[in-house]
Amino acid sequence: MTLAIQGLTKAYGGLHVVNDVRFEVPSGALVGVIGPNGAGKSTLFSLITGFLAADAGDVSFEGRSLGRASPMERARAGMVRTFQVPREFSHLTVRENLLAAAPGQSGERLIDTFFRPGRVKAEEAAIAREAAETIDFLRLAKVADVPAGRLSGGQKKLVELGRALMTGARMILLDEPFAGVNPVLIEELSVRIRELNGRGIGFLIIEHDLAALNKLVSTLHVMDRGVLIASGAPAEVLGNPRVRDAYLGGAAA
Amino acid sequence: MDAYLIAIAIITAIYVLLALGLNLQYGLTGIVNFGHVGFFCVGAYTTAILSEHGVPLVVSFPLAAVLAMAFAWPLGLVSIRLREDYFAIVSLGFSEVVRLVATSERWLTNGVQGIAGIPKLFAGWLTGPAQSYAVLGLLVAFNALAILAMLRIVRSPFGRMIEAIRDNEEAVKALGKDPAGFKIQVLVLGAALAGLAGAVYAHYIGYISPEQFLPLITFQIWMAIIMGGVGRISGALVGAGILMLFLEGSRFLRDVMPFISEVSMASVRLGVVGLALILFTMYRPQGLMGDFTRK
Ligand SMILES: Nc1ncnc2c1ncn2[C@@H]1O[C@H](COP(=O)(O)OP(=O)(O)OP(=O)(O)O)[C@@H](O)[C@H]1O
Ligand SMILES: [Mg+2]
Repeated sequence: MTLAIQGLTKAYGGLHVVNDVRFEVPSGALVGVIGPNGAGKSTLFSLITGFLAADAGDVSFEGRSLGRASPMERARAGMVRTFQVPREFSHLTVRENLLAAAPGQSGERLIDTFFRPGRVKAEEAAIAREAAETIDFLRLAKVADVPAGRLSGGQKKLVELGRALMTGARMILLDEPFAGVNPVLIEELSVRIRELNGRGIGFLIIEHDLAALNKLVSTLHVMDRGVLIASGAPAEVLGNPRVRDAYLGGAAA
Repeated sequence: MDAYLIAIAIITAIYVLLALGLNLQYGLTGIVNFGHVGFFCVGAYTTAILSEHGVPLVVSFPLAAVLAMAFAWPLGLVSIRLREDYFAIVSLGFSEVVRLVATSERWLTNGVQGIAGIPKLFAGWLTGPAQSYAVLGLLVAFNALAILAMLRIVRSPFGRMIEAIRDNEEAVKALGKDPAGFKIQVLVLGAALAGLAGAVYAHYIGYISPEQFLPLITFQIWMAIIMGGVGRISGALVGAGILMLFLEGSRFLRDVMPFISEVSMASVRLGVVGLALILFTMYRPQGLMGDFTRK
């Protein structure tokens, strides 16, 4: 089991935003999380990745309990998230955004920058090739050298995904990766995500575009008001009356 | 060049050194350091006290920078993880503590009387204008080295990471990199430049006392980088120049406004710089050398 979510709970005041959520993501799986607005999906991601401290529950990744590990430690352990509202490095170009994400760069140490420029340069060249591939892969070549702050919302989402890929993570948590991305590219992205998944990267994806998500994932988890209300194969889950109620209730409110 | 102009050039060059450090911290990394003058003060007192005890300048100068770094490191360690506005307050507090210690620890610093008779640079070799030129030359060399080092940093993966931190710290964490480690290093580097600036200042003026290290100095450096262009190395150069232009230029206001007393003149001059700052933020918020989008 790659990722095990064990009773995560988070309350603000008296309101349980995430309430005893538990499920598992097998290694190399493609899993979706859905639910109406405010269901607690993004909060769940923050709990999993350590950006928020859980009131109760734990997360284990590749057999190791993460307890109170920091977001940095969790990312370095191989589990990386993206953000619903893109957090691009706005003054860096798209390419630089991706380069910054590459792990273990000796050039990020001042000593090496000044005293081992050869090594830094060689590493940088290798990372640059990887970044160029990722940029092509995400169809960002046209804006590769534009400051990321000037991109459209959809393009920024692609930059977030690109950075996550550059980290070499084995488990990637995507918070609404398709929001603002054009339908043609969504199709393509889905193909590429499946391809990456074929290479062993697990994905946990929050998405409101159910049509696109259903084609992608093998398992869906549905949240409503902090609680996990259904889990299973997409067709089965979407036929569940409780799930329909949750969505309609959300729309009526 | 007459002595007055050389003197101004020297003071400007000291400001440039300070502005380069602050620009590295704020412009490139987003660290809101309101205590820059504290490191300047540590550098000045370090070399002044060591010189009093006969330590040669070639030793006391590097030690001034090292001691400023030694103050910055623990400060960063305990407070850099704070939210940026809290760090601003802590750093301001730090510089005031430094000044208060310089005021009260008379055995070490001679208190409010300050330390006089700090040996001049190049004393014994050069005198008069030649000496001033040499001091200026030394400052130009320090600044050139600082700029070269900063260019190297800006173009390195380290430089990319500190700009990423400035743009979005949470995203940096999400990638598995610890912003605090980078920020502490930057704080320490900026402090080294301020310490060095303090050392040159002490030996150039020849006399230091706590009242020369008021928070006002910090805010003048801030004005310089805001007017020059935050996040740009050229911004520090140009900004320090504009600052001096206003500080010194306003001296001549007395010629056109003879009714203002000597005492109120200091306030008027500060008002002029403040007014310039307001005009800059209104009409050219990106500073003279442009915004911090690119280096
Ligand atoms: N810091 C906070 N204080 C109080 N309430 C919060 C806080 N953060 C989130 N919430 C609440 O938690 C609930 C869940 O928010 P969350 O962002 O996790 O929802 P979501 O399922 O991701 O929704 P969406 O689909 O709209 O992105 C919301 O009702 C939100 O208002
Ligand atoms: Mg959300």
